[in-house]
Amino acid sequence: MKRFIILTKAMTLMYLRNGYVLFWNFIFPILLMFIYGAIMSQYMDYMTPGVIVLNALSFGLVSSSTMMLEMREKGVLRRLQATPLPAIQLIGSYLLVNIVIGVLQSSLIIVAGALLYKVPVNISGLLLAYPMILFGLLAFMALGGVISGVAAKAGAATAVGMTVYFLLMFISDMIFPLDMLPAWLRNIVPYLPAYPVAQLVRSAMLDASLNPNWLSQMALLAAYGIGATLIAAKLFRWEPKA
Amino acid sequence: MSQESMININNVVAAYGALTALNDVSLNVQKGEIFGLLGPNGAGKTTLLACVEGLHKPKQGETLVGGINVQADSVATKRQLGIQLQKTALLDDLTVAELVKVYAALYEVYLTSKEIDVLLARFDLVEKRNTLARRLSGGQQQRLALAVAIANDPQIVLLDEPTSALDPHARRAMWDIVRQLHNEGRTIVLTTHAMEEAEALCGRVAIIDRGRIVACDAPSALIARLKLNPMLKATVELPLEQVRALPGVSAARYTGEHLEVETARPEAALTALHELAARLDRSIRDVALRQPNLEDVFLKLTGRELAEQN
Ligand SMILES: Nc1ncnc2c1ncn2[C@@H]1O[C@H](COP(=O)(O)OP(=O)(O)OP(=O)(O)O)[C@@H](O)[C@H]1O
Ligand SMILES: [Mg+2]
Repeated sequence: MKRFIILTKAMTLMYLRNGYVLFWNFIFPILLMFIYGAIMSQYMDYMTPGVIVLNALSFGLVSSSTMMLEMREKGVLRRLQATPLPAIQLIGSYLLVNIVIGVLQSSLIIVAGALLYKVPVNISGLLLAYPMILFGLLAFMALGGVISGVAAKAGAATAVGMTVYFLLMFISDMIFPLDMLPAWLRNIVPYLPAYPVAQLVRSAMLDASLNPNWLSQMALLAAYGIGATLIAAKLFRWEPKA
Repeated sequence: MSQESMININNVVAAYGALTALNDVSLNVQKGEIFGLLGPNGAGKTTLLACVEGLHKPKQGETLVGGINVQADSVATKRQLGIQLQKTALLDDLTVAELVKVYAALYEVYLTSKEIDVLLARFDLVEKRNTLARRLSGGQQQRLALAVAIANDPQIVLLDEPTSALDPHARRAMWDIVRQLHNEGRTIVLTTHAMEEAEALCGRVAIIDRGRIVACDAPSALIARLKLNPMLKATVELPLEQVRALPGVSAARYTGEHLEVETARPEAALTALHELAARLDRSIRDVALRQPNLEDVFLKLTGRELAEQN
């Protein structure tokens, strides 16, 4: 346990000292809010939960893997592999730090929404929204883990992650409402991972309620999360592909 | 030296895909020795260490550390080792002191900041304790890698080219550190390309070439066993084939601009050399005779330069 704590502290320090990572994780989400606020300030009630999920999506698919991929590429993972540290502790510590960062990012966006755009937030809504955000984050990070496992290099993982992100961003009822999509796409979207999270977070945050499909939506997310975790664990590599 | 085996490598075959990096390698490293792995680029030194470190799974054969099979219980074997990899990569954005603390903790060894300072002092890094590791010079990073390697107070220390990035002065300082670690009773395995380093430090060396061990013994024993002749050194430009045909010359090669001639009869060889130079109108400078060293053993065994002769 002491080992886990020291390792987790070290990971946190590494995060905090990396300006590039800090920018993407903490400045970028706020910028997103400014950008959307500037374009459609009257829709910010609808937009704010969307931005939270949007951000969780890019964080989960791309940013949350960055440091791990860098460590893999530079040979740090191989050095760690030579120590008696069990892989599960390394990954657990890394995930913990990233989950905390993901939740902090969402909080930043909520605060920005409330202060800048008077988005109504209340305690009961937030109490319901946070577990949903967490649920989504975990599923997205697991998918990011699969991408990291498949990609040979960090650059490739970012490219794949961003592509998936952009595809999901436009069709998952985060920026554009679902009825703007063609019918065939509208039938597929509910089975993709981002849409259910957007639904769950939005109704939780704004109405402090669960939407009628919450159970099946959460089951779907759990399936994505568990499936992706198993695949990511199988694909985990200590070294970059030669 | 007590005959307690710390590392046993038994008939190890290691491969990367179709490439065989180690071909039936067997070695034993005894408790308390400084053991050198000597070989050219790509010989398989790093791969051999990786098999001991539990970083590479051999295709055949087995590796034991302190009597424990690496494949069967790699956590138990990793615990006994202090490791410096050829490619130094610790954790980014941590300071020198933080790195030592974290790496010790990974072995469940928890150092106080006082203990960390004592360790850093040995490597002349105390003033750098709060410096980010990536801001250190190359030589300082190499010393840090060594400090990290022994942070868990290991009985066996594996060093992959610990002096490759160092200037001659720093290299001597590193030798002193290695000797100190040895005097503390630790068993040390190091790889090197530098023959004089192996001669200066190692009680025994294994010479590896193309994935095979071609010799393993004390440096002096290797030199004695091969019955190498003294070497005549001179600065002169002469065609090697003609030099090799001279009386008394058993081998010849160029190292840089120096002609090196292996000879059992130095006087005869030197006379013949002068005659040849005179005939070709070349001048001979800086003539010296030296005793055979590990470099000569290496060349003889791996057959690199000497192969041209046949
Ligand atoms: N990760 C790898 N993938 C594929 N081939 C590899 C890999 N690592 C090493 N090799 C090959 O295995 C052989 C042995 O390499 P190794 O790194 O063990 O040599 P070495 O003796 O340490 O060399 P050097 O002195 O250059 O460090 C080489 O032919 C090398 O190209
Ligand atoms: Mg090597």
